[in-house]
Amino acid sequence: MNAVPFLRVPFLHRPDARWLAALIGAMLCFTSLPAVEPEGTTDGLPIGPTLRFNNINSANGFTLSGLDARLQLVVSLEAAGQLVSDATHQLIYSVDPPVIAEVIDGMVVPLADGEAIVVARHESGLSAELKLTVKHTGNEALISFPGRVVPIFTKLGCNSGGCHGKLAGQNGFKLSLLGFEPQEDYDHLVRESRGRRLSPAAPVQSLLLQKAVNSSPHGGGQRLDLDSHEYRILARWVSQGMPYSKDDEPSVVSIEVIPQHRRLNAESSQQLAVLANYSDGSSEDVTRAALYESNDSEMADCNEKGLVNLKDLVGDVAVMARYQGHVTVFRADIPVSESSVTADSFPKELDNPVDQHVFAKLQSLGIPPSPRCDDATFLRRVTLDIAGRTPTQAETTGFRADTSGDKRERLVDRLLASEDYADYFAGKWNTILRNRREGGGLKFANVAFHQWIRESIATNKPYDQFVREIVAASGSVASHPPVVWYQQVSDTNQRIEDATQLFLGQRIQCARCHHHPYEKWSQSDYAQLSAFFTSVSKKNGRDPLEPAVFAKLGSSSAKHPKTGQTLKPAGLDAAEVVIGARDDPRSHLADWMTNSDNPFFAKALANRYWKHFMGRGLVEPEDDLRVTNPPSNPELLDGLAKAFVDSGHDLRALIRLITNSRSYQSDSDALRENIGDKRSYSRFYPKRLQAEVLLDAIDRLTLTPTSFAGMPPGSRAVALPDTGFSSYFLTVFGRPESTTACECERSQEANLSQSLHLLNSEEIQGKLSSDSGRAAQLAADKSRSDEEKLRELYSIAFSRDPVDRELKATLTYVAGKENRREAFEDVLWSLINSKEFLFNH
Amino acid sequence: MLSILGQKSQFCDGVSRRGFLKIGGLSFGAGGFTLADLMRAEAVAGKSHSHKAVINVFLGGGPPHQDMWEIKTDAPSEVRGEFKPIKTNVPGIEICEVFPQLASMMDKAAVIRSVVGCAGGHEAHQCLTGWNKNDLKTIGGRPAIGSAVSKLFGPVDASVPPNIGLAKPTKHVPWSDSGHPGFLGAAYSPFKPDGPGMKNMTLNGGVTMDRLSDRRKLLKNIDSMRRDIDITGAMEGMDVFGQRALDVLTSSRLLDALDLSKEDPKVVERYGDGKPYQYQYDGAPTCNEQLLMARRLIEAGVRVVSLSYGRWDSHSANFDLVRDHGGKLDQCLSALIEDLEQRGMLDDVTIVVWGEFGRTPKINDKAGRDHWNKVSCAYLAGGGMRTGQAIGSTNRLGEEAAERPVHVQEIMATLYHNLGIDTATVTIPDPTGRPQYLVDREPVGELI
Repeated sequence: MNAVPFLRVPFLHRPDARWLAALIGAMLCFTSLPAVEPEGTTDGLPIGPTLRFNNINSANGFTLSGLDARLQLVVSLEAAGQLVSDATHQLIYSVDPPVIAEVIDGMVVPLADGEAIVVARHESGLSAELKLTVKHTGNEALISFPGRVVPIFTKLGCNSGGCHGKLAGQNGFKLSLLGFEPQEDYDHLVRESRGRRLSPAAPVQSLLLQKAVNSSPHGGGQRLDLDSHEYRILARWVSQGMPYSKDDEPSVVSIEVIPQHRRLNAESSQQLAVLANYSDGSSEDVTRAALYESNDSEMADCNEKGLVNLKDLVGDVAVMARYQGHVTVFRADIPVSESSVTADSFPKELDNPVDQHVFAKLQSLGIPPSPRCDDATFLRRVTLDIAGRTPTQAETTGFRADTSGDKRERLVDRLLASEDYADYFAGKWNTILRNRREGGGLKFANVAFHQWIRESIATNKPYDQFVREIVAASGSVASHPPVVWYQQVSDTNQRIEDATQLFLGQRIQCARCHHHPYEKWSQSDYAQLSAFFTSVSKKNGRDPLEPAVFAKLGSSSAKHPKTGQTLKPAGLDAAEVVIGARDDPRSHLADWMTNSDNPFFAKALANRYWKHFMGRGLVEPEDDLRVTNPPSNPELLDGLAKAFVDSGHDLRALIRLITNSRSYQSDSDALRENIGDKRSYSRFYPKRLQAEVLLDAIDRLTLTPTSFAGMPPGSRAVALPDTGFSSYFLTVFGRPESTTACECERSQEANLSQSLHLLNSEEIQGKLSSDSGRAAQLAADKSRSDEEKLRELYSIAFSRDPVDRELKATLTYVAGKENRREAFEDVLWSLINSKEFLFNH
Repeated sequence: MLSILGQKSQFCDGVSRRGFLKIGGLSFGAGGFTLADLMRAEAVAGKSHSHKAVINVFLGGGPPHQDMWEIKTDAPSEVRGEFKPIKTNVPGIEICEVFPQLASMMDKAAVIRSVVGCAGGHEAHQCLTGWNKNDLKTIGGRPAIGSAVSKLFGPVDASVPPNIGLAKPTKHVPWSDSGHPGFLGAAYSPFKPDGPGMKNMTLNGGVTMDRLSDRRKLLKNIDSMRRDIDITGAMEGMDVFGQRALDVLTSSRLLDALDLSKEDPKVVERYGDGKPYQYQYDGAPTCNEQLLMARRLIEAGVRVVSLSYGRWDSHSANFDLVRDHGGKLDQCLSALIEDLEQRGMLDDVTIVVWGEFGRTPKINDKAGRDHWNKVSCAYLAGGGMRTGQAIGSTNRLGEEAAERPVHVQEIMATLYHNLGIDTATVTIPDPTGRPQYLVDREPVGELI
């Protein structure tokens, strides 16, 4: 059979199926196919609609072993000029001979040993065949508790956190959360309650089964039908005398979803199949036993049978599949239908890899980019993003006068070399490294650590080295300030969790108490990470030059919280580390983290910085880089990470790469066709100025610097050494308190208190009406015309000239007021309260 | 001043940018009422005390359901606890002895003894929204009832925010949640009258109202950036708040409502002060005054007041705690019901008093009760409901709902119903344009 790759089918004219007009043939495929089918047509073959089985990776068709085996068919329909579509549920299936198997709802169910052909027929006349072998239906295999029974509990939600999976169990019956401890579950089920939960003599009388079908009242209601595959498996397991498992039972090593990625039309659907691969090299279909979750239920949902239903939105969506602690993801791109976008809609000759990836994505979705922003917009945007401040008048004038072709690149370089860049990014890192004072005044430790961070940024210390010096910090605050991180983040668990979230984008907290439900991380992984930190000690109250944080050299270990087993240190997904007698274990952790092969390190940083500049992370939240939370543009994230590693972890180079891209320089104004885009970067997404930047900008515009207790006059808010300075303004505009390693602690939300403060507070009014302030100066200045003064205000506030309408409105206003100083105060007030001022756009 | 009044109608314009909402199923007869229509209708009808409102009293930590409104007299001593039931003025209904004043007005209230569907987290989210925290999380989550009502109805009085959160900050932060706006966006957050912000509610720095209005006119002329390009929604949020801030400044209604020195001292005394604060730890204090403040705020035009009362997480000394918190709650809650009735507001104002879950039947070795999300309880009063009843029951040991399990969402649906919102028909479009129902379940049939 496998020698016949094609089957011609008769031409059919169906006016309601436009794509079929070009029908010339069909492809019948049982030859070796990759798990992800190629799109379009196969080399040299006639182009025409084809029906294709997607989930067959054996040249000899598919083998089902035992009556419990299943195969979820996934059949695609491919036609020239059309997106591949899922036809699984539009087909009529038949099995020849029919005694071997039947197909129910796209799923093959074995009946008897033998070989058969499964035929799928489409109403158009297209068809495809699949060779099927059924074996071992005669001898009933022992049902494995961990392999067969536990997945049923997980699928039905019995062991979820809201039911029997919670720490205390439910109604006296406890299961391990999501079935990660099958041996415990077995003991609870079989041995507890004097064995009344199971009755091998009369399996259907078992409490387990009666509760599941609700024939004995069950708080969780009916979870199973009497006439279901799962019910029969449970009953058979009981009747077999509740075997645990064979000694040599293979375990799941990975799962895969078929297909992995598709471009689909909005409001279409896609059947998924999930395959589990076992340690003995075998694999089986577990589609019905796996759990599914969409990462955006507004775009798509997925039912318990693995059928994804797309809604009417354009963009990308991911569906997570989970089985036995393993996870994988199906990704779908949903392009604009009948988009007018072509290759010509995009700028040509882009050598920046950022643009290649951004525009490839936009093109594939049919979304056009906004045009490139003008110079004034770029100047303000990039100065705010790199230096955390608005441009000076001199900068605005100079940039406008500069006619050279590379002026934007040179501006970026100039900003990156500035002190302001170091101040701004030091503040960013300072906050998430939790450099926080313990109340009261500023402490030496806070200042020293902030200064160290700032110096690292100013000297462009390679990021890997920066992280290493924190993670492996030893000594006194005076000799090596990053030990402050160890003082602030004071227990081992917090250190592990902060370090993995900050530097690897992994939230491993879950694995402290149980297997991470949406990741592969187990308690062993957590314990092995903690082993790097267990030999860290602190000394307090000594001479400031003595070491305050140090680690005992030589091997270290940690105990598994459940088994008590002693575990050696290891990175995530990495081999155990052998620590030499004279080594600090943490230096090995830093080695693993910063190695160019580390799968998390560079991506986590790239995504964090991408979000800083582009307003939205490729992964959101920016420090949650789960397998099951895939980036909106994976190629772009890979490309950024690779460029970052290749540059030697050069942070400035990464910023250059982003800010010099055409994508960063897109206008924020939306086109009709891209107003709906919120994650593909077809335009620049405006960002609110963060609290400190806004306060500095107001100070600069009004010429009234805010003073901060203990800081020299003229200190900018972005340059403060910690977040403990008392300021209602900064608090109400969302300054974080540095209590977590998460950037999300900074609130960028609007509220009434902010509006009241900007519109009507003593603080703002004081700045407007200060005797040494801008309004007083302008009112007193007799040498210039009002127009000149107003042009200057626009230049300082927005880095641009006022348009005629604005100039007229402000001139009229100033002319209409007797009190000139108040008139200028009012103009300043209006500028500060306008969206253009409050946003970076 | 004139121009300020002119601005008031501009509020509607400000909202219109977000797109007026059709609320077809409302009790105004024919469909097609826009939000603006509705607000105008309300303005014409007068806005004294006639609007419907909700006071949502969250008992953070989870009150022991078996020590509140249903004493398990038949349970063995390790479950029963030390409280005795007392008779109420409704024959056949008995509640815990720590609530003598509430017992004397049982006819004005209803207790639900069999609340189910609690998610089990230590947070107010479910009592504020009716939903689990993760629901619609990717688009911001479900809005709290106060936010949804702000969106649907807008303010009663333009100077008074329709949704106010009085919950004081707690160390365990989710207990001082006053309700997140979820997918509705920041504009629908509850207003929190925190200390430092209060000063900003009156004109500062010698600026007169006329001058402020001149400033606003100028701002309107030059503030022309397109709002819909902001994917976070913050620009539109700022517009709405800017208008709201101006309303606050032109009227002192909000400030007055928050100022208890303007209240009759006898009334203040009747509510009590809930002091000394005991068993507070990382939770909310027992601020009896907040219930009085809630009444004053509703009189001023607030539609939903959310507050957090006490810390009921009684892992130890459960009975001492309930005696303390319960006694104080008895005083202020009975005062509130009495007060609302005297003012003719009780039929318009629904009071709900509940926590995130119930507590373990078995008393632990520290005389405490631990978390128990299989069953919980709620106390409701006013709102034109059929009061004087006890709904549902738990089994002998108080472990689970025996009769008439009432889901958290049914109670939330009842609150919406009492506000005049038909949850079976009213939807709010989420950011993707999809209409979202407020809750999935029907109101509690016994109450309406």
